[in-house]
Amino acid sequence: MERRKFIQSMFATSAVVAMAVPSRLFAEEAKKKATPKGPNDMSFEEALKTITNGKGAKDSDKIKLTVPEIAENGAVVPVKVNVDHPMEEKNYVKAIHVLNKGNGNARCADIMLTPANAKGYFATRVKLSKTQEVVALVELSDGTFIQTAKSVKVTIGGCG
Amino acid sequence: MAEKRRAMIKIKPKKYKVGDIVKVDFIAIHPMDTGMQKDKKTGKIKPAHYINSITFSFDGKPFTTMKIWESVSRNPYFSVNYKVTGKGKITVDYTDNQSEKNSKSKKVKPKG
Amino acid sequence: MRKLLLPLALMVTLATAGEQFAMSDADRAMYKEMLENNPADIFVEEGGELFEKLGDEKALAKFLGVTEKELPKYIAGFPRYIKKLGNVVGLDQVLQAMQVEQGKKKTKLKSTEMFSMLAYVKSLANDEQIAIDIDADKYIKASYELGKKTFETPRGGRGLSCLSCHSADIVGQILRTQPLPDLGKAGSGATWPAYRMTKSSLRTLQRRFQGCMNNALMKVIPIGSKEMVGLEVYISTLAQKEKQPIAIPGLKR
Repeated sequence: MERRKFIQSMFATSAVVAMAVPSRLFAEEAKKKATPKGPNDMSFEEALKTITNGKGAKDSDKIKLTVPEIAENGAVVPVKVNVDHPMEEKNYVKAIHVLNKGNGNARCADIMLTPANAKGYFATRVKLSKTQEVVALVELSDGTFIQTAKSVKVTIGGCG
Repeated sequence: MAEKRRAMIKIKPKKYKVGDIVKVDFIAIHPMDTGMQKDKKTGKIKPAHYINSITFSFDGKPFTTMKIWESVSRNPYFSVNYKVTGKGKITVDYTDNQSEKNSKSKKVKPKG
Repeated sequence: MRKLLLPLALMVTLATAGEQFAMSDADRAMYKEMLENNPADIFVEEGGELFEKLGDEKALAKFLGVTEKELPKYIAGFPRYIKKLGNVVGLDQVLQAMQVEQGKKKTKLKSTEMFSMLAYVKSLANDEQIAIDIDADKYIKASYELGKKTFETPRGGRGLSCLSCHSADIVGQILRTQPLPDLGKAGSGATWPAYRMTKSSLRTLQRRFQGCMNNALMKVIPIGSKEMVGLEVYISTLAQKEKQPIAIPGLKR
C-alpha cells in the first residue's frame, strides 16, 4: 500500500487508541512519580491562610481573571487580572496575589499596588507543572480579601 | 556575581498626555530557575535563581512593589497600569534570590 | 510496516477527539497579545548591537551590492544565490562571510549570537512579502528542488519524511496534542526566527527543523548545509504563496 494512503488509513482506524492516548499526554501522568520538594513549597491552603492572616477570602465576580482554557505549553502561561474596584487615595486595590493550586509552591507573585496605578490590573506569565487552577487573590485597602479561580488545562505535547 | 542583565520597558500607548492611564510592560531576561531542574549538559541540579523582588518607581518614588516566586516563567513579563503625572522617568529595580541587583529605566514624555 | 504502525498508533488521535486539545479563539487571542511583549525582542536588540559591530545596514548593503533603500526588499528574498559566495545562502551565512572579509572571528551558525543577529537582520524586512524567485537563476532553482526533495524523502528509524506530518491532506490532524499546521498558512517562513516558549529562547527555522528531525528519529542535518538551505527556501516559498508578511521575531510553542 502506498505509504501516504497507509498513514491516512492509520488516522481513520486509531479511534480505539484515541481513548487511551489523551490521559497519557496530560502532565498528571508524568507527575505520578514522587517530585522533589522545593525550599519555597507551600500548599494553596497554607498560602491563603498566610496572606489573609487566617481570614480567608470571599469569591467575587469583581475580579476578572484571564487565563487560557488550554495552555499550549506549561512553561509560559499568560495570566491577566483586572479588578473592578476604584483606585482612590482611601479606597483602592492594595494587592493582587497570583497563586496556583497544583505547583509545589502555590505562590506565583504578590503585587502591591498604590492609587498611582489607577487601575487594579496586573499581568504576567507563569509556569504550571500540570493541569490546575490559577487563583487571583485580591486585598482591598479596607483589609478585606476577595478571590476567583480558573482552571488551565496544561498539555505537554508537541514535537521537537 | 553581578551580571548586567537585559530588560525592556514599554509604555503603551506610545503617545499619551498628563492624566492618561498607560500600561507599563516590563520584560527581563532571567533564567527563573526553580532549583529543581537538572542541567542537561552536566547532569547537576541547577540552583534556584529567580527574580524575587521588583520595585517600579517614578522619579525615585515607588508606585508598585512585587514579591516574585520561582513559578513565574523564564524571561519574565510583568505589566501594571500607571497614571501619567508629568515628564519624568520610570525605573524598575529588580533583585534575585542570589542578590543580583539590576535596573532599567524609561523616560516618560507626555505630549500636552 | 510494523515498525511504522506501533509508534504512529500511539501518537495519533482523530481530529474530532483532538477538539479537546484545540485552542479556543479566546486562547489564540491571548497568545497573539503575547507577541506584543515578546522576550525575543530583547535578543533581537542584542543582535542589532552585534550587527552594528559589523558595520550595520551600510556594510551589509555594500557587501550585497545593493543600496540601503533596497535592502529590506532584498533581505526578503533570502535565501538567495550570492555570486560572491558561489552558493545559495541564508542571511546568517552572509553575516559570517562579512566577518571573514573583515578579518573578524567567525560566529558559529548554530549559536545564540548568530540566531540573534539573523533575527535582527531579517527583522529589517518586517512587513515585506517574502520575495524568493525560484526561477531567478539555476542555483536557486536547484536549491528549491533539493529542499522539496529533502522535505519529501523518508529517512531514519521510523521511515518518516517531513511530508508524513506536514502534507496538505494531514493538516489539522492531531499529533501529540498539537494540531498539525499548514506550514504555508502558518507563515513559518515569515515568522521564524521566533521565541520558542518551550525552550524559552530565540530559535531559527533551520534550528527548528533540527528539533523536528530529532523527534522523528531522522539524522539531524547541519545548519547551513545545502539541504537545510534548500529546506528553508522551500518552506519560505510556502509562506510566500500564502502571502504571509515577514514578522520577526515570532512567538511559537
